[in-house]
Parts: sequence; structure tokens; C-alpha cells
Amino acid sequence: MFPVQSLLISVGAITALSTFLAVIMVIADATIANYGEVKITVNKDKEFTVKGGSPLLSTLMSENIFIPSACGGRGSCGLCRVKVLEGAGQYLPTELPWISDEEKAENIRLSCQIKVKNDISIEIPEELFNVKQYTSRVTRLRDLTYDIKEVTLELIEPGEIDLRAGSFIQFQVPEYELTDEPVYRAYSVSSNPKDNKKVEIEVRLVPNGICTTYIHNYLKEGDEVIFNGPYGEFYLRDTERDVICIAGGSGMAPIKAILLDMAEKGISRKTRYFFGARSTRDLFLLEEMNELEKVLPDFKFIPALSEPAAEDKWKGETGLITDVVARNLESGDNVEAYLCGSPGMIDACVKVLTGNGIPEELIYYDKFA
Amino acid sequence: MKQTPQMQKIQDNMRPGVITLDGFLGNDSRNLIDILVEDDADVKRLGYTHKTVAMRMVELRDAGKRGLGEFVSVEPHFEVRVDSVRGKLPCPFGDPGVFPKVNTTVRNLELDREITFTDLNIHFILAHGFYEGRGSNFRLNPGEVIKILEIEKPSEDSVPFLL
Repeated sequence: MFPVQSLLISVGAITALSTFLAVIMVIADATIANYGEVKITVNKDKEFTVKGGSPLLSTLMSENIFIPSACGGRGSCGLCRVKVLEGAGQYLPTELPWISDEEKAENIRLSCQIKVKNDISIEIPEELFNVKQYTSRVTRLRDLTYDIKEVTLELIEPGEIDLRAGSFIQFQVPEYELTDEPVYRAYSVSSNPKDNKKVEIEVRLVPNGICTTYIHNYLKEGDEVIFNGPYGEFYLRDTERDVICIAGGSGMAPIKAILLDMAEKGISRKTRYFFGARSTRDLFLLEEMNELEKVLPDFKFIPALSEPAAEDKWKGETGLITDVVARNLESGDNVEAYLCGSPGMIDACVKVLTGNGIPEELIYYDKFA
Repeated sequence: MKQTPQMQKIQDNMRPGVITLDGFLGNDSRNLIDILVEDDADVKRLGYTHKTVAMRMVELRDAGKRGLGEFVSVEPHFEVRVDSVRGKLPCPFGDPGVFPKVNTTVRNLELDREITFTDLNIHFILAHGFYEGRGSNFRLNPGEVIKILEIEKPSEDSVPFLL
């Protein structure tokens, strides 16, 4: 036999054997491996005994502990970080793109990627114990623009939610044409936290998006929806500073909730809200904003169009939202800012705000990234 | 065409539920190597290169970034919106880094046609000549991309796709 043929046969045999063993290991892990009962200790004082073998994220969810995750546990959003005190093993390659060196030193892990195979001790923020799963019913679907829909969810069980203005929830999309299994996506709540028997969200249609396509094209009034929440660190800080809000598109949602909450609580801080859109067909909730201008003593809503159509007959501000903010910013002294929108919009606005003297630590944002 | 074990491993990474819920192959029953070879042949037959296609996508995406998340007019008759959703994706070919979920939607007003592509699509085409499998949510038909984005023919020779 030629040496080349012999070599090819050897390589082929090794490849086949390796593939076979890998397949056996995957099947064995999924079917035969029995990790038995394992103990999860949370924040050193809460213990749960669970069946081992599943990812930490879903295991915690089965114990009604909800860790924020925007991708449904696929390791593509990097949100579901937890601090592991002991018992998680080595970092997986799928975690490393999300974990900085500082976080590595703290043993921060992605809970969707690590499996619970033995006793494990973790640390999570205390507020996550307030996160619950809710069953709700769609009571209203409203087109805010041609591609943004408002969804009103009336709570069934539990019947009330305690949330802070600016929070987000995770909406569960059930199995449908585009997905064989339920998936979760994060949306900011736009309703007044005082109306604690319902939540409203605003959803812009993302081309090919699993959740947004479901909400825009499949969801009907009367449907049941499961969601969990609330989550998030985007909220109005309790200070006396003037407030600047900047948003675009469905970034309106948490800002609207914050404004409604300010009106409810009688907060009278000077507030300017810049909202960027392309033309009048991209503007929405103008009446609601006018109402807030009447209720809040020093509030102005400043919509700006980047490319108004001739038929718009627009007399308001024009230009990119960054230019409009720069033109209207009186002073950066004693001001804090709240931004919600695309990463490009936020990065550009942060530059303008810091350039006008607002310290970066006083700029709070909810970036869609 | 026969597929190497390395290519098979990449194909496995593209299956539903590994990196994304739906994967990158749609309902395409062809092997990855066949998808790559057929799309490569299509692009060459039309007189283009993957690099030319990808660079036009980059050009329009960068022009669309001016809109800060909203549609913006781009000469001569395009409207482009660059938007993001939460999350980042690794490349199933095993390239380093992760790609933010940036969606670029290009409307060709003259043709009255629209196309949406991601940053990962751009990387796929530039680095691998991969347009995703048939039936995949983000499958890009090379001929349609070339037509809708009005890509000019390159002067240089076609570059082979890289694996």
C-alpha cells in the first residue's frame, strides 16, 4: 500500500473515531448522566435543592428566581451575569467574549452557559428576589406609528406589579411559526407605575425579529401573555437637578413612564424631553406629551425631525437630535440626563452632553445593545 | 461535494439552537460546502466579488448610521436605517470576537424594494462568501443584494472565499 493511502486511512479512522466518541459523550451527557440532587446557595442564606444537569439560568427560573436575559439563554446577550462563589468549574469559551478581566477576577459567570452539576454557591442582587413571573391578558393593541405598536397587558396572576418607572420586563413569545420553543425578549414598560394592574410596552418591528414579528403580526387582543420582571437600573435619580431626556423610536417607553411618575408624585424639576424622528409619520403620543406639559410645571416636549417631508409642513425643530440638543441646551450645570435609543444615538448624544459640561456619571441610559 | 470534518463542525455550529434559535441554514438540505460553492459561483457568474458586495453593504450601513436609529436619505435614491437589538453573536466559523446585532435596512426607492442585513451578514460575506442557507431568516440572495444595493462591478479579479 502507498504511504499516502495508508496515511489517509489512518487520518480517516482517527477522525471517525473522534466524531463517534464526541457524539457518544453528547448523547451520554443528555440522557445517561445523572447528577442527582444538588444544592444551590444564593447570597449565602437561601438554599434550594434541585435536580442537577440543567443550566443555572433555567434552574433558578424553576425556583422562581429570574435573572435578566434578553436572548433566552443562548449566550448572545451577556445579561445573565451572576457571581459564583464556588462550584461552577472553568470558564467556557462561550462565556469569555462577555466577561472582562475584572469580572473574571470576581468570578462573574453567564448563568445560561454554566450547568448545575454539583453544589454551587452564587451571589445575585437582592432586588432580583422581587422579580416574578406574571400571566396577563392583552387588552389593547394600538398602532403608534406604521412600525411601532403599543401593547397593554392586564395582569391576571399575580394581579398587581410593583415596578419603578423606567423598568423593563421580559416578554415570553410562545411557539409559533418562527420558533419551536418559547423565547424571551426585553421591553421597557411605558405605563404609569401607579396603574399596578397593567403594564404597557412599545414595540418597534425589527425585520425578521422573532418577538417583534410575533407581537406585530400574530398577537391578538384577548391572548394570554406570560412575562417576568421588573428589571433594570434606568430610573429617575432622587436629586434636585434639572432633567434632560432624549429618545428616539420605541425609546419613548421608559421616558414616558418616568414622566408619568413625575406627574403622579408632583415632581416639579425643570425637564426637557428631546424626541428624534425622521418625519411626522414617525412621531407619536403627541397628545399625551401635550397633556404632560400642562401637568408638569416646568416640562417641555421638543420633537425634532431629521428629514421632514414637504407635506409635513413642519414648523418645529429640524435636524439630527444631537444638533437640536446642542442648540437648545442652555447650560450643563446642575443637569442630569436620561437617554433611551439605539447605541449610535446614545453614543452621539453622550458626546454632545459631555461636550456641554454634563459629567458622564450624570448621564443615564438604556442602550438597545 | 465532499465536506471536511472542519467544515462539518462549522455546519453543526450553524444548526438551530447552537448560536441562534433558528441557526443560519434555514431549511436548506445542502451541505455548507455546497451552499458556499454555489453562491460563490453565482457571484462570479454575475461578475462580482464577495469583497465588492460586502464593501457596498459597509458603505450603506455607515451612511445610514447618520440617522441615529431612524431612516436617512442616501444618494441617489436610497433610504437607510441602522438599528440595534440587544445582544452580540459569535461567528459560527470560529472567528475571534462577537458581532453586535446591528440591522441595516436599505430601501431602494427606484426599485421599490427593501433589504435588511446584519453586521454578521457583512462579516459572513467578506470573510467566508457565506450568504446563509435557503429559508434562513437572514438569507441574502447574492443576485438580489447586487441589484437592490446597485453594486458596481469590480475592476479587480474575483477574490476566492476564505475559510
